[in-house]
Amino acid sequence: MAAYHVVLVHFPIALWMTAGLAIVFRAISEGPVAKAVDRALVPFLAIGFVSGIAAYAVGLLVWPWESLSSSPLGRNHMLLATWTLAYWGLILVTRWMQGEAVWNGFMRWVMAGLAILGNVLLGITGTLGGHLIGIHTEVSQALRVLGWEVYTTFYVPDTTLIAICVASVVLLAAGLLGARRAA
Amino acid sequence: MKRTLPYLALVVFVGVLGLSWITHGTGVVKNDPKRHISIPAQLTVPLQVQSAYNGTDVYFRYRWPSPNAGIHHDVLRFTKGAWVVQGSAVPGSQPDGLHEDRVAMMVDDGSVPEFGRYGGYVAIGNKLAGFTDEASGREVREHPYLGKKLGLDEPTKYLPATRTNLKDWTAVAPEAEQQRLLAAGYFLDLWHWRAHRSNPVGLADDQYVAAGRLSDSGRGAYTTNWDGAKKQPRLMFDPAKVGRTTLKWDDLAKGKIGQGDVYYLREDQAIAFDAAATWQEGDTIPRRILRAAQGSRADIGVSGQARWADGFWQVTLRRKMDTGKPTEDKIFRDGGVYQVAFAIHRQATGGRWHYVSLPFTLGLGREAEIQAAKFEGEAPDWRQAAVNVTLFYPGQVNWPHLNSARHAGASNIKRGVPVRYRHSEEQLAHYGIEAEFTDAIRGQWLLTMLAGIALIVAFGVGLNLPLKRKQGH
Repeated sequence: MAAYHVVLVHFPIALWMTAGLAIVFRAISEGPVAKAVDRALVPFLAIGFVSGIAAYAVGLLVWPWESLSSSPLGRNHMLLATWTLAYWGLILVTRWMQGEAVWNGFMRWVMAGLAILGNVLLGITGTLGGHLIGIHTEVSQALRVLGWEVYTTFYVPDTTLIAICVASVVLLAAGLLGARRAA
Repeated sequence: MKRTLPYLALVVFVGVLGLSWITHGTGVVKNDPKRHISIPAQLTVPLQVQSAYNGTDVYFRYRWPSPNAGIHHDVLRFTKGAWVVQGSAVPGSQPDGLHEDRVAMMVDDGSVPEFGRYGGYVAIGNKLAGFTDEASGREVREHPYLGKKLGLDEPTKYLPATRTNLKDWTAVAPEAEQQRLLAAGYFLDLWHWRAHRSNPVGLADDQYVAAGRLSDSGRGAYTTNWDGAKKQPRLMFDPAKVGRTTLKWDDLAKGKIGQGDVYYLREDQAIAFDAAATWQEGDTIPRRILRAAQGSRADIGVSGQARWADGFWQVTLRRKMDTGKPTEDKIFRDGGVYQVAFAIHRQATGGRWHYVSLPFTLGLGREAEIQAAKFEGEAPDWRQAAVNVTLFYPGQVNWPHLNSARHAGASNIKRGVPVRYRHSEEQLAHYGIEAEFTDAIRGQWLLTMLAGIALIVAFGVGLNLPLKRKQGH
């Protein structure tokens, strides 16, 4: 299935990279071209998300779970692929729910930041996938310089897991509080 | 308040991402002597190798960094009125520094084809000594072939075809099959230089790996100085030749006994231990008696002096190209290509706490990664450039694991894809460490993945619900 996975990942990569450029372009421009590109954003993100799910599902079939979950690079690739998919799903939902209001005020820069981070995640996921088939870029070298040796599994200690859980609860509470106050 | 909530959500999200980045990779990997886990601070070490031959002898010169000259091994120390053994092997570095430095080389002539592709990994079988799940010495001693026939007393390296079941070290092929394999050259020659147990008598140990790690025929260069029945040494220094009967523990511990001193107990410089003498606290005698090796086991000699200087060991070994023992030694021939792999021990480590190399080709007048220079006369001039080898800490990875479903590259091994095609030494070092914590890391990785998903979803809620209402206004 590796060959099919490699073919399929081209679709979300192309769509998300294009969507990322579109978001940054719209964030810095109020021109008609930027607004036209923005109108195509939700379809782009939606197709990217669906094709991402397909690529992810096929990716899970490349190696047996026992092999994938025993390989540091396999684990890292799956971790980043999962987060990338979820993260671009978040961007899709945000643009879909907020409509053109996401370009109001400071929120446009938030969107640009989210898009850049999404492409960073995408780039790391792709590099790790390249490692698994024996072809990789120097992105992994940049990650080493920044403090992550990609030949070691990315995981966080229990204290950080607790912090993430607490943060998640705070975020959920903030969302619900904001919704209730506005209602 | 509601206007600031989305930005608060952003700050929390980015803050937790930063925390995750800073703390990742911590909390699981740590030394655990009970599980035989001790991870060196440095994962790779460089080694320089040169080779030369003159038609009669073959030479290898090794040079590698070592923080100090590890020339001492275990000792017998007079403590509180009794002689005790000090310096037994432990996971990682021996705390008193009582483990010698070493360099070892495995050699093949193509008879063990997997060795040329995977190096020493092929010899790391099931439940070897030093692994978390190691078999006990008693189990090995009681094994009808390994213990009672071959005399092994610990689970050592072995080659895959000597077993009928890859996953079971006890499943030894019948003796007739072992002999058939040996006659066909199915073994790895093992050269093993030791700073304490062989260097002072100008030798390296000559062994081979087949059904186990076995010694060539003949007599080794060392034996024990411990009389277990009497709980005392067998020999002590001859004061007429050495000027004293024992070493002093304090001198040894403070590093005052160096390469220029008689730090070893050589048979011809020793006399019978005198139990009636007045021994003092801290009197120390080496636990090993060095002697002249004999037979095929004495084939490998030290050329010149193997010395540590300025942070480096330089060791040159010499052996006859044809020892006349083709079932114990690999015979070198002009025009031949061989496979070699290297290992060193340093910083008072023993057992599996070594640094190893991937396999290299060695050519005697043939194209290869290491080109042995042909020379005339007694000694090579070493004018050719040394080959730089990267040694790495291998962790706990064995051949059964590499051929199992847990290794994604198992199918590549079946297809004969060499280890270098997919792995670098640095990568293998990290993989080797992770293999020592596989289950714990897998669990933490899964939790991390789930926590990340939860964070992204929660961020979506925290960002969008207030904004949606805001847009609705």
